[in-house]
Amino acid sequence: MKNSWKIILLLSLVIIMALFAGGLGNNPRDIPSPLVNKPASNFTAPILNSSATISLADHKGKWVLVNFWGSWCVSCVAEHPYLMQLAKIAEKRDDFMIIGVDFRDTVEGANRFLKRHGDPGYQHAFDPKQKIAIDWGVYGAPESYLVDPTGMIRLKHTGPLYFGWFEKIALPQIQGNANGAN
Amino acid sequence: MAQINNMKRFLQAVTIFAILLITTSPLSAKNLNEDPSEALVRTIAKDLRCAVCQNQSVYESNSDLAKDMLEVIRDKVKAGDSEASIRDYFFQRYGDYIYLEPTKSGMNMLLWFGPILGLIIGGLALISAFKKWKKNSVKVEKPKNEDDKKMQARIDEELKDIEV
Repeated sequence: MKNSWKIILLLSLVIIMALFAGGLGNNPRDIPSPLVNKPASNFTAPILNSSATISLADHKGKWVLVNFWGSWCVSCVAEHPYLMQLAKIAEKRDDFMIIGVDFRDTVEGANRFLKRHGDPGYQHAFDPKQKIAIDWGVYGAPESYLVDPTGMIRLKHTGPLYFGWFEKIALPQIQGNANGAN
Repeated sequence: MAQINNMKRFLQAVTIFAILLITTSPLSAKNLNEDPSEALVRTIAKDLRCAVCQNQSVYESNSDLAKDMLEVIRDKVKAGDSEASIRDYFFQRYGDYIYLEPTKSGMNMLLWFGPILGLIIGGLALISAFKKWKKNSVKVEKPKNEDDKKMQARIDEELKDIEV
């Protein structure tokens, strides 16, 4: 009886310590998105540097990478070289495209960014009041969503995309879906 | 006499000052010109977590995201959306992380009732421990035989010497 209390005390201490230790490793920014495997919310917004608008729904039938960025975002600078490369990959494929969403930004700021770090060539929806971003559950930049041809969000990537991301993460999704359809 | 008068005046001044302080305090401040819908906006925003700051509500935070979220809430309230539907809008997009107060469902039940359960178990353990201690402490035996009495007398004698 005497020992059982000691064991219980020790065990609860170990559990509490383990919970704390586990919690230390958690990244408070890394919040799982409830939007994965849900239909993507459509948006229609002005295209950056154009009087036309862009709508996600117009691109059904393709895998769309929706990349949220802003010229104020430091990690977006780190991500940009990969987006430049990914844009070239997208140009070669007819089943994959990229749409940028420039949010909480100014046209001048965005243009300065594209001039300085390179223009990947795809279109950007301009979202100064981050209505699209909030509608898509975005809390920081960069964040990217991969939307499948039927308009479902298949994955979310928080933080900069990295070299090899497309082949390693996106392609299995795209090919898996194609195989599944066949 | 003059001193007493001075004292009286001083007390009067302090009283008036205190009354002025109380009546102008933020406690009695009100936004008289506030839009009536703003109260609902505030209720909703106070329970939503600003996603980019730790443990601040959308209403309290000064971050850009929180300000824009507040704007979205305001738009929706103006459009006539109910509190539940606006809360659900953010829940659908950000998950239950967005609520400052965890929902009472699933694993969150552990958060809500775990501490109470822990308190009850701890309380019961304490009670049983106290009982045990009490039982042990009663066991002060009185000297039974002659030898014990002698020994007790000697101990008392020595203790007396130490105390003096």
